[in-house]
Amino acid sequence: MPAWLAVILRSAALFVVVFVLVRLLGKKHPAQMTPVHFVNYTVIAVIAGLLAAGVSQPIYGLLALAVWLLLPYLAEHLSLRSKAVHDVVSGKETILIKQGKIMEENLKSARMSAEELLKELRAKNVFSVADVEFAVLETSGEVSVLLKADKKPITPHDVEWQVAPQTEPQTVILSGNILHDQLTELGLTREWLETQLQQAGVTPDNVFLGQVNAAGELYLDLFDDALKSAMPTVRQSLYAMLEKAQADLYTFALETQNSQVRFMYEKNATRLQQVLDILRPHLLR
Amino acid sequence: MTVGAQVRQTVAALKGSRATLRLYAEHSRHEETRSAYRQAFDIVSAVLSDLEKRLQEIEHEEPQYKGN
Repeated sequence: MPAWLAVILRSAALFVVVFVLVRLLGKKHPAQMTPVHFVNYTVIAVIAGLLAAGVSQPIYGLLALAVWLLLPYLAEHLSLRSKAVHDVVSGKETILIKQGKIMEENLKSARMSAEELLKELRAKNVFSVADVEFAVLETSGEVSVLLKADKKPITPHDVEWQVAPQTEPQTVILSGNILHDQLTELGLTREWLETQLQQAGVTPDNVFLGQVNAAGELYLDLFDDALKSAMPTVRQSLYAMLEKAQADLYTFALETQNSQVRFMYEKNATRLQQVLDILRPHLLR
Repeated sequence: MTVGAQVRQTVAALKGSRATLRLYAEHSRHEETRSAYRQAFDIVSAVLSDLEKRLQEIEHEEPQYKGN
């Protein structure tokens, strides 16, 4: 066997082996890797490279590879079971700011300068240390920040707004192809989709992307951007229709001379107000 | 437009809204949303029955406008 062919075969075989084994090590984004992971991956890469180039003896190389894959796997496995092992393997997070005060000792032990801390905070859109209640240096080297209660972004909960629960939208058309699995998951049929498309005045192959939201409305993005497809507004118009009916009832109440009838109209206008209050989070937001 | 015709129009609009509410109640995936639509549906139904009763009275009082 010529040398070049051996290199190609070895590389291809190693590619498959390393590919499978790295997958076994778990899903970790490179940015979230702890230094230990980084070293581990690097060593695997170097060993695989040496093996592929035929620098090391195949047996020794494979043995080393096995050790560097098996040990991390074992460590991960144990660290899932025990907190102590976990702390040793992935390290412990360091508290940098507590109750709004910077912990200088911890900063020093993490070998982090004040500038670096400020830089990390800015990366989180925090430009004033005074806004920070609590900050932690994660084992991956990232800083997590908890803002002071009065500096946190307002949520619907804070302003006591009622919001409707939202499920994730499902993509039902991609590049002109109807995705049947997603449709059936929503309990919708191909016929329903075709009617919706007809109403919008487009054919499926003209649709780049179609999504159905939690309320069952279809949003379309067309290949031809010059064509205008209306955003679904059925929900808003339903709300408007109920509001109009309520206004009508108040008008009737004003117009009638019969006090009993007026009372009936006013009572029902109040009922419709109740309906509007119930539906507001679902129809308008 | 007579009062009868106006009331009839409002009743028709409310009936349309009620149908949409039922449709939404069936299509919603969240139990919370579903029960909100059902509740709205029930109240609108109660309003409708009152209005329809009133409509009958109006037609009785002004039979010449019936069906306009």
